[in-house]
Amino acid sequence: MISFEHLTKRYGEATVVDDISFTVPSRTVTAIVGASGSGKSTLLRMVNRLVAPSSGRVCIDGEDIARIQPYMLRRRIGYTIQNYGLFPHYTVAENVATVPRLLGWPPARIEAKVDELLTLFRLDPGEFRNRFPHQLSGGQQQRVGVARALAAEPNILLMDEPFGALDPIIREKAQDDLKAIQSRFGTTLLLVTHDMEEAIRLADHIAVMEGGRLEQYAPPGEMLLHPATPLVEQLIGTSDKAFRVLSLVTLEAAAAPGPPPPGALPLPASLSLREALSELLWSRRNALAVIGDDGAPKGSVTLEAILRRAAGPEASQDGPAAERR
Amino acid sequence: MTRGYLRPAAFSRLGFVVTGLLAAALAGPLVSFHANRILPGDPRSVFACLPPALAAGLVLILAAAMAAAFFGGGWPRLAMASLGIAALGIACGVAASRLTATGGSWSRVSPGMGFWLGLFGLVVLFADAAVRIRFSPRARLSLVFLAGLCLAGFFYSGIWRDVSVVREYDARAADFWREGGIHIMLAAGSLMVACLIGIPLGIGLKFSQALRAPILNLLNVIQTIPSIALFGMLIVPLSWLAAHLPALAKAGINGVGVAPAFLALVLYSLLPVTANTLIGLRGVPAPVLDAARGMGLTSLQRLGRVELPLALPVILTGVRLVLVQNLGLATVAALIGGGGFGVFVFQGIGQGAPDLILLGALPSVILALAAAVVMDALIALTARPAP
Ligand SMILES: Nc1ncnc2c1ncn2[C@@H]1O[C@H](COP(=O)(O)OP(=O)(O)O)[C@@H](O)[C@H]1O
Ligand SMILES: [Mg+2]
Repeated sequence: MISFEHLTKRYGEATVVDDISFTVPSRTVTAIVGASGSGKSTLLRMVNRLVAPSSGRVCIDGEDIARIQPYMLRRRIGYTIQNYGLFPHYTVAENVATVPRLLGWPPARIEAKVDELLTLFRLDPGEFRNRFPHQLSGGQQQRVGVARALAAEPNILLMDEPFGALDPIIREKAQDDLKAIQSRFGTTLLLVTHDMEEAIRLADHIAVMEGGRLEQYAPPGEMLLHPATPLVEQLIGTSDKAFRVLSLVTLEAAAAPGPPPPGALPLPASLSLREALSELLWSRRNALAVIGDDGAPKGSVTLEAILRRAAGPEASQDGPAAERR
Repeated sequence: MTRGYLRPAAFSRLGFVVTGLLAAALAGPLVSFHANRILPGDPRSVFACLPPALAAGLVLILAAAMAAAFFGGGWPRLAMASLGIAALGIACGVAASRLTATGGSWSRVSPGMGFWLGLFGLVVLFADAAVRIRFSPRARLSLVFLAGLCLAGFFYSGIWRDVSVVREYDARAADFWREGGIHIMLAAGSLMVACLIGIPLGIGLKFSQALRAPILNLLNVIQTIPSIALFGMLIVPLSWLAAHLPALAKAGINGVGVAPAFLALVLYSLLPVTANTLIGLRGVPAPVLDAARGMGLTSLQRLGRVELPLALPVILTGVRLVLVQNLGLATVAALIGGGGFGVFVFQGIGQGAPDLILLGALPSVILALAAAVVMDALIALTARPAP
């Protein structure tokens, strides 16, 4: 659990982070979203004391981090940045082993951890451990950067625009990988992005920042239905809200029990309703059969049920302006 | 074959330069014959001083080198340049022995203009070949080592025993090695002291904005003082110190000699080492430093594990500059009694004996050249491309 309490950062006259308070529950993903210069990185960097607050404090599991030696704190917290900052003179294995070596792990344990992480990130250890960063593609560098941040098994991982430099196709795969690894290790993940789509895809909570202030901190579904300010509403999108709502729900969660109607389209349970809707429209069917990972049927979903879920609140029938009141 | 002649790209412009130099070598005097060591020389061409078979062999080899310079790739050029240098060396030695045998024991035979032009042409060809082949840093280090072995081989084989420079060496072999040791001690020792001062100073200047400009300016001013003037300027304070501190005088430190020379070289070396350390440290990419800090490296760990290793190629570039510069400047140290190869140069000038000048100048040039190649290879070995 990370709690921000009246956290403020000033540089001279400018207030870059302005009296921000909210609490990030353990083992969840929080995305900090906002325009460039809104103070996202500064907020993130106050968690590992790369930036010292002007006032207010950050507590981790109730402990004020100002009482912890910065370098000790940082070894407990994973940190990745936009350009990864891999050490060009270290091999992939040495890069990943950085923090475990600082912590004095025995060599055998370090080696096992490096191989485990490389395998987890689909980098064959035999092929990649002894490469240097300049011998890696952008996507591979990104994965090494995340592996390095996770090497000492931190409970908290801070990521500053981790996918910013990746092209769209690799980016989606990298997001899926990150989500899988986060839930596997139960890491509390705080990630900065300026891409609302990415935030909705990954996060349990979204914190929207503007001019150093926190506009709203809420789960994506709630933010879609009840944006707190015009800015949040603008960020979260006005024209494709219905699709964004659908993208938050998996078939597994939406499945109605019972045998599917005849002619239902079989689809995997991990698909989102948004993807399922597209499949139904394309195949001209009215219902689908949900199939689990093991191939067993898990119920069905009708086109009508999907459409009903996509509908906004009653008040919004008068248009977006009425909803804001 | 014909197509090769028609294509201009296959025709190297370097060929004209090398051919011109090698042709001049064959036309000009290979050696010059002196009745004694200070009398002016009498030029002797390749054909006048070599047995016909050897002269023909030399002509053939140099012609092949010309052809390689026009049409050859890297390896043929390298092979012909090496062969040519060896042939020129042998020819010079044989010519010297033949002429000395007839001219009596006072006579001297020194390499002539033709020899130097030919050597220059072949070295140009060799350097060009090395660039074309793109030797790895390790290969370049081996090449320097190999060249050193070849040089020693020629020297100790006795083939040059009647060449004038070697006769000068024979007359003062012990002095030669002693002054050589002093020369290297002056250049490398002052470099070491400069590193011990300059690298920490560079690290310090990275943190102190206020001291940066004044100190770099001071070191810059020192650099602009001509070497003779700096040697001279140090004589006064050092003799004063020696006069007032008997302990210093007893340690051999006084106004003239090794001490002021060494000190001057250290002062000259400080700017490149300090400035390059600072530049190297400031060139470490910001994301790398941010990541290092964010992972919990202390500032000392960042310096030792990240900043200095990444700055090393730039620091070594400064060290290279200083080493090559000091190997040259150490020659001037002899003027104030500092010793080194310069001793022979200035003795030679005083006696009007050009061969003695060469005895001092040649090893200085060879050392500086070898140091430059070795340092370049080391810099290439430590450099890492950015990701
Ligand atoms: N060290 C600093 N000194 C002065 N101003 C800073 C410093 N770091 C950040 N800022 C300013 O604070 C504001 C927020 O920066 P940042 O947190 O990096 O924004 P974001 O990550 O949202 O783009 C920017 O206007 C930036 O110029
Ligand atoms: Mg930022």
